[in-house]
Amino acid sequence: MTLNSTLQRVSWRGLRQRGLPGWVGALPLLMFLALFLILPIAANVVTSFWVNGAFSFSAMAQLLEPQYLDAFIQTFNLSLLTAAVGGVLGLLLAWALATGRKPAWLQNLVLSFSAVASQMGGVALAFAFIATLGVQGFATQAILGLTGWDLSQDIQLASFSGLALVYLYFQIPLMAILMLPAFGALKKQWQEAANSLGASRLRYLLDIALPIMWPSIAGSLLLLFANSFGAYATAYALAGGRVNLVPILIGFFISGDVMNDESFAAALVTGMVVVVVAAMGLRSLAERKANRWLR
Amino acid sequence: MAAIEKLPLVSDGVKARTQVAGGDVVRTAIIGLALVLFFLPLVASAAFGFTLPGQGISFEPLRDALAGTDIATQLMNTAKLAVLSTIGSLVLLVPTLLFLHLKAPNLLRFTEWLSVIPYVVPAIALVAGANLFFRQAAPGFMVSLYSLVPFYMVLTLPLVYRSLDAGIRSIDLRTLWAASESLGAKPWQTLWQVVLPNLRGSLLGASLLSCAMVLGEYAVAALLLHSTFPVFMVQVGMNQPRAAAALSFITILVTWLLLALLSRDSAPKTTSKGGPR
Repeated sequence: MTLNSTLQRVSWRGLRQRGLPGWVGALPLLMFLALFLILPIAANVVTSFWVNGAFSFSAMAQLLEPQYLDAFIQTFNLSLLTAAVGGVLGLLLAWALATGRKPAWLQNLVLSFSAVASQMGGVALAFAFIATLGVQGFATQAILGLTGWDLSQDIQLASFSGLALVYLYFQIPLMAILMLPAFGALKKQWQEAANSLGASRLRYLLDIALPIMWPSIAGSLLLLFANSFGAYATAYALAGGRVNLVPILIGFFISGDVMNDESFAAALVTGMVVVVVAAMGLRSLAERKANRWLR
Repeated sequence: MAAIEKLPLVSDGVKARTQVAGGDVVRTAIIGLALVLFFLPLVASAAFGFTLPGQGISFEPLRDALAGTDIATQLMNTAKLAVLSTIGSLVLLVPTLLFLHLKAPNLLRFTEWLSVIPYVVPAIALVAGANLFFRQAAPGFMVSLYSLVPFYMVLTLPLVYRSLDAGIRSIDLRTLWAASESLGAKPWQTLWQVVLPNLRGSLLGASLLSCAMVLGEYAVAALLLHSTFPVFMVQVGMNQPRAAAALSFITILVTWLLLALLSRDSAPKTTSKGGPR
């Protein structure tokens, strides 16, 4: 390496440091997201307030018609139910995974499967459940053979409660995965200190563990809620049009199966995005609170 | 569930030893129950998909369903999309993140916030918006199968970004870069021979996550009328539930393998390299 070329390189580096401000490095990512995420969503929001060439709330107001309001209520209820039940059971699972010690292989297996199941959703899950609890399903036939009870008569997968059951399959492990760090942040000394001061385990749980953990719990529940509010593939593969849900309705509008009203279709999407963004916004507030204790 | 009732009951400090043992039983029971419930649909789809009533194990349902279809094309489509989206994400994010870590660390908080947006926007909303926007802005664009690639990159962004960012944070990038430069390496040499080999673990992790997600993606492909493997699965499932169950079983298994590979690969990395910062 000659002195000359070294000098050249150094000066080139200096040039780059001066000439290229930091935001230039973020530019490709910014442009990519602007084109494929921000602009589509913005176009959608604009369209939902743009009816027949003029600004109007009429498309958004149409969301309040009984059929569509019902879709929002059903989706809301489904999300609330699966977030609440999934949240409680997931919390229990997280507790068992975070504090249990033996047997290690079982812990690891369940942990690794939780990671997979929490991201699963989708059509594969829908068909796996049809194979389990459908009319010809594995569990249905086994229980029918053993007890004579045909469970497919009582648990219909293509219904509100059936969907709730299937959603729990990814909601419970998702809650467990989300809550594991919070359990890790609970210091052992806190419990020992509480015990040494004469607190029972219940008192420790209510006065120390829960107050510390509730922001993470609330944040995770909100994510679970948003997660199921926007879920499309599982619901579509299981129920098609038999359950009145917002994502399914949006799907029908996009594929042109129902009347072609662009503004109203956009309004449906805007309505859904507002609900999901509100949930996720609250979640980031909760997370900020939770982070105070996680350090 | 019995476990809930037991939790507050074991609160007597005197019985500390039995308490611990009792808690362990409850925990093991919960984990065991979770294991059984997690695996039931998996076992059921294998049992349902690879048998015929009265015949025992049979590949006939799957063979019948696949005969005369172009499953090979659809599998190839999904494979192509997985590879292209993964390469696309890495090509976009690795240089961006390295540049920002080296030259403008103050922007990282902003880009991280950006990277989480796709997490907030459901896939179905993205499709609706994309359909609306690109049909007017560039009508020909959505016709090509490859138009799915940028949207898959958007959908996988939160996971891929986090994985890469964590990888870069776990190495001492500035020191590596300065050391390599002081030894006379050109920037691309440093990148190729020093930085990327050190990021192997997180590059692989990001790729596996991206592939696993593309493998299962249905909403975007179906609604933009492209035929990928999950779309094929739904078509089959309409009237051949056994074949659909068999395909689901294979999909879940492959996804699990991809992610298991990920956790095995990244586990030692995080423990040995978590130190510096």
